[in-house]
Amino acid sequence: MITITKTKKSILLGMMALTFGLNSCSDYLDVQPEDKLVEEQMYRNIYDADAAVIGVYGKFMALAEKNIILNEMRADLMSTTRNSTPYLKEISEHNVSANNPYANPKDFYVVIQNCNNVLKNFDMMLEKKRFTQEQYNERYSDIGAIRSWVYLQLGIHYGSVPYITESIENIEDAKNISKYPRLPFDQLLDKLILFTENLPYKGLYSVGSSLVITIDGYNTAKFFINKECLLGDLQLWKGNYQEAAAHYKNVMETGTRGGTDTELYNTYRVKFAEVITHDDLAVGYLRYSEQDATTLINSNTQGWRSIFARDRDLLWNSEWIWSLPFENNFAPKNPFIALFSNKNGDYLVKPSQSAMDLWNSQKQSNDIPYDARGQKFTYNIVNGDPVIMKYLYSSEAVASTGVANTKGQWFLYRAAKLHLRYAEAANRDNQQKVAYAILNNGIRRAYTPSPAPTDVTDVQQTKLPFPYDFDARMGDYPSYRGNWHRNDGIRGRAFMKFVGAVGDDVITTENNIIQEDALELAYEGNRWEDLVRIALRRNDPAFLADKIYEKLSKEGNGKASEVRAKLMNVNNWYLPFNW
Amino acid sequence: MISLKLINKKLFAGILTLALVSCSDPWSDRENNGDDNLNITLTEAIANTPETSKFAELLAQSGYDEILAGSKTYTVFVPTNDAMAQVDASLLNTPEKVTAFVQNHITLTAYSSVRDNASEKIKMLGPKYLLFKGTATIGDATILTSDKYAKNGVFHIINKSLAPKKNIWEYINSQTASSAMSNYLVSLNELNIYDSDITAKENAIPGALADSLSNSFLKNVYNVNNEKNTYTLFLMEDDGYSTEVDKLKPYLNKSTADLTATYSRYFTVRDMVFPKAYMPNELPNELTTRFGVKVTIDKTQIIGDPIVLSNGVVYRMKKVDVPLKDRLVTTKIEGENNVSFSPSNLRSKIFYREQKDLNDIFFKDVMVYNSGVSLFQLNYRATDLFSITYKVYWRAVNINNYSSNATVFQQRLAVGRVFRDGIEYPNEVIKDFGLKNVEIGVYDDVYLGEFTLTNAQDIDRITLYGANTTTVGNNTMILDYLKFVPDVK
Repeated sequence: MITITKTKKSILLGMMALTFGLNSCSDYLDVQPEDKLVEEQMYRNIYDADAAVIGVYGKFMALAEKNIILNEMRADLMSTTRNSTPYLKEISEHNVSANNPYANPKDFYVVIQNCNNVLKNFDMMLEKKRFTQEQYNERYSDIGAIRSWVYLQLGIHYGSVPYITESIENIEDAKNISKYPRLPFDQLLDKLILFTENLPYKGLYSVGSSLVITIDGYNTAKFFINKECLLGDLQLWKGNYQEAAAHYKNVMETGTRGGTDTELYNTYRVKFAEVITHDDLAVGYLRYSEQDATTLINSNTQGWRSIFARDRDLLWNSEWIWSLPFENNFAPKNPFIALFSNKNGDYLVKPSQSAMDLWNSQKQSNDIPYDARGQKFTYNIVNGDPVIMKYLYSSEAVASTGVANTKGQWFLYRAAKLHLRYAEAANRDNQQKVAYAILNNGIRRAYTPSPAPTDVTDVQQTKLPFPYDFDARMGDYPSYRGNWHRNDGIRGRAFMKFVGAVGDDVITTENNIIQEDALELAYEGNRWEDLVRIALRRNDPAFLADKIYEKLSKEGNGKASEVRAKLMNVNNWYLPFNW
Repeated sequence: MISLKLINKKLFAGILTLALVSCSDPWSDRENNGDDNLNITLTEAIANTPETSKFAELLAQSGYDEILAGSKTYTVFVPTNDAMAQVDASLLNTPEKVTAFVQNHITLTAYSSVRDNASEKIKMLGPKYLLFKGTATIGDATILTSDKYAKNGVFHIINKSLAPKKNIWEYINSQTASSAMSNYLVSLNELNIYDSDITAKENAIPGALADSLSNSFLKNVYNVNNEKNTYTLFLMEDDGYSTEVDKLKPYLNKSTADLTATYSRYFTVRDMVFPKAYMPNELPNELTTRFGVKVTIDKTQIIGDPIVLSNGVVYRMKKVDVPLKDRLVTTKIEGENNVSFSPSNLRSKIFYREQKDLNDIFFKDVMVYNSGVSLFQLNYRATDLFSITYKVYWRAVNINNYSSNATVFQQRLAVGRVFRDGIEYPNEVIKDFGLKNVEIGVYDDVYLGEFTLTNAQDIDRITLYGANTTTVGNNTMILDYLKFVPDVK
């Protein structure tokens, strides 16, 4: 008997165990998990809001590599190497297969979905008075602007895309045309301009904001998108040139709004070279040895190269408007070393022959027959390979510890780009002389008559209304130091001979500006959009197609003519919208 | 009681079944993919294949059966039993030779016959590399059956054994008894050609690669003892070789007949090796050495088949006739490569310029401008000059972007220091070309005159002087390059 009971008990226990065991898959214990937050709990106060903003930027940084590949490899300045994958070759040859990861728009929508979600919750927080109206305005506008930036990129590369501004449950829904119809690029621009112009706040995070702090040695102020630059870009795309110029000019006058004299005269003004100390961002040679090519100022702390290599100091701040850093010890990892380096990376991309030829067809003001921004700074020949260096200077600086140095940046906006975009808008707004001055020798020199008078009261200024008003007077009897007296022009700062002349027509001036974009900003993720913008504006597909043809044919690519023919049709500029 | 028990048992069995059915086990499913080869090691797979049993025996003999049963991934090129029967017994008569033989058939990681690269050089377990070309050629063997997989790698059955070959240097060492040229090349283990060879020999680390570091030929021409690169070497028969050497002797005159012979031989053999292994069908009609000498390849002079070695090809040649005008190369000295200057505190007056000429060809030159001193000196050095008369030219492009007006100025070239009985005569030079005008905007070579060397030598003092004036513009100096052209009659 006893044995029987024992058996029964053990069986019973076994059955119970089995019952619970089998049931554990279902959710009959429906409790809130303790290690996860529901959305409501995530947005309690200003610090949660700040965390959400930082979170969006974290997601946003994952777009860095794709942004550079799409905007450079599709265009004419970058090309493939012996190590490039077939997917990169497809991008370069404008023949993208369905599963090409670089062409997949999903990553963009991941960021957009993240933005939409955060914006929705900011509205909720405001409603529930969890932060102030001012705090709301700054954060909402920031995330709204990031979303518009991502949409602008989508429009540039995919043409027609769904414009989704609500928080959606499932990102796959974005592909559903009946739910989210595709908006043609031009209509998308209208939506983006309307939304972005109406953002409640267009400045930078205010001084003292909990988002402007120092993290791991980095001041966060320049992590965040500059909304005026974005608005300038949107208006420039749309063809509203005066509005574009006005937005750009607002940023160019950042120094005017306060700060020390150094900040006043240097911030975003593309300042002239310091020919004695070389503590500048200009192309320069040892003083009085300018004819000696070996004396080029070529270091991580002085001259033009230091724009991409220096620490975030005062000079850095006078050039950089928006830049996100990659560090050794925090995520996300710097994607650019693998992309560019033939020493520490995979060397997947390189400067195209046509880009190198372009730099080498230029002349410096000391008659050295190439643009130092090319072979000396933007790329170098390393072990026989042309290597794009802009992104590598920081990581190849000596690592003091045993840890591999993977420092770098995602370069997003700087003064040179701002000035060239402004010149592009001014030129189209029939201000060729202003455009010429910004591009070439700076306002002061362009507006100094010959012979130059000692009294500069009436010269060295544009005497035009906003946004074309510049005072660049620099005189001693009587003394003048106009806010723009240090402006040296893009080519002036780069120690280049000037291109074009005052009095050139719109197209000539525009061609010179676009060429300067290539020389100055190569590989910073602008080239494809520059070509598309101009070709669309002129309704001239050949403007774009010829440049891609030149790149491919100079490298002996047999598909050059075929690609050119394809790109003569605007529809073929756009990547397939699919994932 | 019994019935109760039974019911319980049934219940228990039922629940057990349920539990078992509901749980599949993907971990054990993983292994069962129907390919039994993936359950056995390379050692077992090779031993199980009847046509490769002999190589399997060799694996066991060398202990590599255990290595190929390990956890690393390998590729093995397995010769058939027929191929093994052809192997010379002398290649397998010591344990070391067996190991070397086996190692040359195995490489790390799996190489399938289908790869991204059409052709790649793979490092075998021994010191040698083999070329895996296309889907079916490894070294000089052909793959009969490819891509036989086992648990830890892949093996291919080949029609010929891959016995390790000698490299070019090992081959030359084996030929010293019958070939004067080989004998000379090996003698450069002891003989020095340049001063730097002496230090190299002193600092050589003993070992397999000691020759590479200290042999004057391997060090100064190409290291044909290097397995990683490939080379083509032309080995002349004794008659052809001595004819070429004798042809050079008048132009490599040294203080003793022995030295003259050594240098004449060196300048003969240095032009007999080229990077890259050229098989007969790839052999061009003309090759240029790294010293700029053009060598015409007369294929009718090739004796027998080329000797294919682990790092290249050797052609035995009756002769290789290199005309003197090709052999005695022009010495070009770039203006920007001055080794020193004087006064040595005036670096700031020297400008290393970069420009384009009238044909848009980029060039670099040197200019000295506004130095404030007279007789400014730029010093140069030339090596490997022959005992011959040289015609001397310069290119000096008188364009000065610094000053608005270029001025015609004068400068002077002086070549060589003079020694007699070991004593230098500092006031004498081999040749002073005197002050010459540098006209404005001339991009052509300008003939300066000639000088004759009775001994082949290096000249460590070649000086360009500025004019004897301190006047700005008149004491300018400009030099793109100097050319010393041997006057071969």
